[in-house]
Amino acid sequence: MKVLRIVPERCTGCLRCELACSYMQTGTFQPARSVIRVSPFQGHTSYAPYTCPQCAEGWCMTACPVEAIGISPVGAKVVGDDQCVGCKLCTIACPHGTIFFNHETQKAFKCNLCGGNPACVEVCPTQAILYEEAETADWLGAFAAQRSGPYLATAAAGR
Amino acid sequence: MAKQRHVIVGGGTAGLNAILAIREQDKGASEIALVSDERPYARMVLPYYLGRSIAESHVFTLPPGRLAQLGVTGHIGRRAAGLDAKVSKLTLDDGTVLEYDDLLIATGSSAVRAPVPGADGAGVHSFWTLDQARGVAAGIATGSRVAMVGAGFIAFTILNSILKLGARLTIVEIAPQILPRMIDATGARLVEAWLRRHGVEIRTGATLAAIEQAGGRQRLRFTDGADVEADVTIMATGIKTNLEWLTGSGVRVNRGVVVDDHLRSNISNVYAAGDVAEGRDLVTGEAAVHAIEPTAMEHGRVAGANMAGGDVAYRGSLLMNIVEVCHLDIASFGAWDDATAEVFEAVRPERPAYRKLLWKGDRVTGAMLLGPSEDVWTTNDVGMLKGLVQSGVRLGPWKEHLQRNPFDIKPAFIAGGATARLLPQTVLGRPSVPAGRIP
Repeated sequence: MKVLRIVPERCTGCLRCELACSYMQTGTFQPARSVIRVSPFQGHTSYAPYTCPQCAEGWCMTACPVEAIGISPVGAKVVGDDQCVGCKLCTIACPHGTIFFNHETQKAFKCNLCGGNPACVEVCPTQAILYEEAETADWLGAFAAQRSGPYLATAAAGR
Repeated sequence: MAKQRHVIVGGGTAGLNAILAIREQDKGASEIALVSDERPYARMVLPYYLGRSIAESHVFTLPPGRLAQLGVTGHIGRRAAGLDAKVSKLTLDDGTVLEYDDLLIATGSSAVRAPVPGADGAGVHSFWTLDQARGVAAGIATGSRVAMVGAGFIAFTILNSILKLGARLTIVEIAPQILPRMIDATGARLVEAWLRRHGVEIRTGATLAAIEQAGGRQRLRFTDGADVEADVTIMATGIKTNLEWLTGSGVRVNRGVVVDDHLRSNISNVYAAGDVAEGRDLVTGEAAVHAIEPTAMEHGRVAGANMAGGDVAYRGSLLMNIVEVCHLDIASFGAWDDATAEVFEAVRPERPAYRKLLWKGDRVTGAMLLGPSEDVWTTNDVGMLKGLVQSGVRLGPWKEHLQRNPFDIKPAFIAGGATARLLPQTVLGRPSVPAGRIP
């Protein structure tokens, strides 16, 4: 299936993906409601977007007691608003921290790949987010570890 | 060759997931009989039924049409009366005898009430089954005074609904703190203060002595301190596992049915799952009964996959609970109360927010989280803390970072390599299939 492949080295921290994502997901431009999150590393000198990897287990999906989470035609785990009661079991079951909760609707929500046309990919000015055929993977781990090394060392020395 | 005959005893989360796992694997090639004394429903959503945010019909998981679609013969309204595992026969309470090739024990738990005079009196309810939920729902109106006896997880799952119905709530708890089996004293103090600010009365360290009837109301008397008067009293004073029917069956029972990593009991064609099973704790590796929804789900799926001829070893269940009260999220994971662990904690009482991380070496083995649910990081951190405990990832230099700031979970999670450890993990050794696509 096509997945969101993140190329963290290209991210400039502009947050356009968060704006576009929140608009697609909630109809308003508010990064706090985005399901892709740009994280700072190395004391805000490096950035990388982080979102649901659409994992094979689907911890959110299997945890749901009312079968509200299914798989969409493009392979995304998606929350069905009519079924979701807002019990938050999915938020605790997801080990990636990529299930979110909308306090206005009292429903869980997450990356649904925008039905196959991800807005984050479309708006990223540096092609740091790609939508392509690939096995989902840990796109950020090595980057984040490498960029964080000097920062951690400095912080530890300054204690 | 005759069809394989599976018998599932219990229509809760464990039984439902076992049925789905069997059908996912065999596409309908076997016989499945389900014995359930109630119409199967999702217990987790009863609080939302109580709060009238969903209709009663929303709670049912296996209505007749679904049973037929899954090729399951329902013995609904029937209880298992006795098991003779030596000859693989189950007797139901109406005398029906079911012969099986394999059987799943998934009879769950029942609510128990504090053993005080008047505990079974009028207006006193448990909140565990759908019938009990109906009783509570019918009893509460705007302005009702509700007394909640017990301040555990079950009680907390219905606080929001009770307040939403316009009732005035008093919580009494025998332990010195609320949520004694879910959070520590520091977290409990923050939650108690938060609830008081939202108009909930709380009395901890209060030992109930009797419940008297007083003009259509209940008067709760205590060994010490003032009485509490209520229109509705809810006894959320714990649960016990439903094991009595296994006496003389030959199935080995300790705190629950003792199962191996395939969820198999000492009898090779008898499995157990959910609240009644004593399986393995993922973090400690020790035998444990985890009477929680996620364990019932995973147990059920693993047992079902193995009953359908699979060979799935279960890694163990992760103790976890989350509850939200008045927009405050409260969660704990794994060995959150391990007195031998190294502990990092940080409190921001003004939010309020609290994080506690428990360590063995450079691995997080338990965690506690508390914070306003509208804070972005609260929801993110809930999942990531679960991921840290579940993956057992070694955090190396990030341990020191988290000692300086236990709130800054995200960079440690990402740079520590948790994702790479988690992505290959599945419960059944294959990608999950949504329930709607089974069989």
